[in-house]
Amino acid sequence: MEGIRDACHVWAQELKGTFRDEGVLIFFIIVPIAYPLLYSWIYNNEVVHEVPVAVVDDSHSAMSRMFVRRCDASPDVSIKYHAADMDEAKAMLSRQEVKGIYYIPSDFSTNLNRMQQTAVSVYCDMSLMLTYKAVYQTAMAVSQDMNSAIQIQTLGNTTDREDEIATRPLDYEEVPMFNPTGGYGNFILPGVLMLILQQTLVLGIGLSAGTARETNRFRELIPISRHYRGVFRIVLGKSMCYIMIYSVMAAYLTLLVPRIFGFVTMAQGPELIAIMLPYLCACIFFGMTVSCLIRHRENVMLLVVFFSVPLLFMSGVSWPQSNIPGIWQGVSWIFPSTFGVRAFVRVNSMGATLGDVLPEYRILWIQTVVYFITACIVYRYQIQLSRHKVICRLQHIRHKREVRKQQRKFIQDSN
Amino acid sequence: MSCREYIQRVKEVALRECAILKSTPIYWFCMVVFPMLTMIFFTSLMHEGQPQDMPVGIVDLDNTSTSRKLTRNLDAFQTSRVVARYTSVSEARTAIQRNEIYAFLYIPKGTTDKMLASRQPKISFYYSLTSLTSGALLFRDLKTISTLGGAAVGQATMTARGYTPEQIRTFLQPITIDLHQISNPWTNYNIYLSTMLVPGVIMLFIMLITVYSIGTELKFGRSRRWIQTAGSNIAVALAGKMLPQTLIFLSITYGYMYYVFGILDFPHPGGTSNILLLGLLSVLAPQGFGLFIFGLMPSLRLSMSTCSLWAVLSFSMAGSAFPIMAMDAPLQSLSWLFPMHHYFMIYQITIFNAFPLADAWLHAVALIAFAMLPVTVLEKLKNAMINYVYIP
Repeated sequence: MEGIRDACHVWAQELKGTFRDEGVLIFFIIVPIAYPLLYSWIYNNEVVHEVPVAVVDDSHSAMSRMFVRRCDASPDVSIKYHAADMDEAKAMLSRQEVKGIYYIPSDFSTNLNRMQQTAVSVYCDMSLMLTYKAVYQTAMAVSQDMNSAIQIQTLGNTTDREDEIATRPLDYEEVPMFNPTGGYGNFILPGVLMLILQQTLVLGIGLSAGTARETNRFRELIPISRHYRGVFRIVLGKSMCYIMIYSVMAAYLTLLVPRIFGFVTMAQGPELIAIMLPYLCACIFFGMTVSCLIRHRENVMLLVVFFSVPLLFMSGVSWPQSNIPGIWQGVSWIFPSTFGVRAFVRVNSMGATLGDVLPEYRILWIQTVVYFITACIVYRYQIQLSRHKVICRLQHIRHKREVRKQQRKFIQDSN
Repeated sequence: MSCREYIQRVKEVALRECAILKSTPIYWFCMVVFPMLTMIFFTSLMHEGQPQDMPVGIVDLDNTSTSRKLTRNLDAFQTSRVVARYTSVSEARTAIQRNEIYAFLYIPKGTTDKMLASRQPKISFYYSLTSLTSGALLFRDLKTISTLGGAAVGQATMTARGYTPEQIRTFLQPITIDLHQISNPWTNYNIYLSTMLVPGVIMLFIMLITVYSIGTELKFGRSRRWIQTAGSNIAVALAGKMLPQTLIFLSITYGYMYYVFGILDFPHPGGTSNILLLGLLSVLAPQGFGLFIFGLMPSLRLSMSTCSLWAVLSFSMAGSAFPIMAMDAPLQSLSWLFPMHHYFMIYQITIFNAFPLADAWLHAVALIAFAMLPVTVLEKLKNAMINYVYIP
């Protein structure tokens, strides 16, 4: 009973501290609210449309003009310039006015009429994968379309159906799944959202621990108070405060933000709660463990911030999970975000059920337990440390008092 | 003060800074260990260049030699590996949701029969786009396999009719696309991503460490001593303090550049002089930015928070993954406030594509401007160092 009361006291103290410390406030409240909006805004356009391309048309024929017109008509490419020669087009590429060049050779139309193969050269600026894809795939699609038309002409079939079968004896359908726009936002945002939760939690917890040390008399984490006697009441009390704040934040990030910007959300309530609970707990205990290892509050920022990008890559969002080298797979097991991101992406974007993300779900609970134990161990050590300091201080005072007594006695005696 | 005295003062402050750097382990970690770890992490993570042998499934309800040939051909591609066969589409979909495969090919019953009877059968391929990298690559493989499947039929018919291979090729593909991927003909993701992410992390550390080293002077109550050592001249104080850090960061940046361009041999047709120039700018600009932010808000915690939030945002606003031109107009203008964006532009124009530096001059000027920014807050910084007291 007393333990629970103490835990509640720690909880209240921590909550007060959170709102009093502007550093903690920034990372607990402002960043989780503002950053998802900012990232959503950045990636809200999802796809690259109308990539500027220059054309060098040496053929000057009806066929070559048709090719150019069709490329221009496609959603992804816009023909910005007709350059006189390759040098001019290259200069435009250099000045960043275009992202690619279509070069149509002078024998383009002649070859086609002679029933010979002809080639359109496509030059792509490879500094951006998305524009490269747009420039190349548009040229590809247009050439395939024109090829079919040429084939039909050559064959001279009587019916449309014959034409269809001749140009496409085996029909196929391409079905992109789970990301209907094929967009960048739908792809990167779920991972970023989960990562924001973990990083701000670790930063916030680290900062509040740093503040606690700085305001403490002995520069220690645990204040001297009768409420801070047991390990469990401290760890549970503090984590109750964090989970209270972050339940709200997690709901905002996973439910509201994707809906505001129209990103894919297929997550069902029970699944979402089932994975967010262990994820938040694992992050909190992970953060508490880390916070004890760092002495100065600013060091938390130095250590945590730069991890964000490598963590996103380790979760397998950008680089496929099956191709992450073993050693980094091993390292990625340390962080809750790895499994949090994986589980959330599959539940949220792919509509997976809890059974489909069972391995991640289990690991998140294992991490929760492991980091709870480590948090208890480091806090226990901190309690001993501050107790030791207090005892030293007490002995010091007692010793002084003793010395003073003896001095007084000595003076009395000598008198 | 005479010129010699200035140099003497700068030297004294620099020596003092060296002693601080040496005695505080966090500097060692953030200036050397972590940047190198990041470099090794990204280059080794993507050492394949392009993800290879990604797991793909097959739903083959036709089960003929033709459909099995399709499967074998797909398996032979470098990026795909057929790892499982499923009996239905929904089973394969569940496998994607379980993260066992990233895509699958569906061959319905009767495909071969219909093909032989010229009744245009239809196969489908499904690929998950929750990861754009694997999705785009597998899409390419699956589309090629499907197109080739159709072409094989045409080829067989035409060979039977006695056409030459040359004629068949021309008939099937009158217009071909001759693709030139400038500077990165392998579509190597390591070249594409590592050259932005690693400098991004190094620049992040430069910003944070600059703010941290100035802020801790205040925090540990050493700021007055520091200004005194510099003869109450803030410019001398800053120059002396930044000098050892600049040298360390320069060697880390150049070390990174030597590693990727020299040892891993990433394309760098722009040449050494451009690399050296960009390295210098990429150290000075974030330092200037950090000093400026600290001058604006001389509180360690606020300025560090600002710098870290700014730096994390830089990875998106650099425009190397999702292009700036596809963002909303206000964001396009805001991108100029991020040193990393200018780094990316100069890198890709002058080093990666070997275009003249003149075409990136505006970005170079922007980076120089970032490096000069602290000039505007010198007085404020001095005032802060002498009069402010650190409040925990």
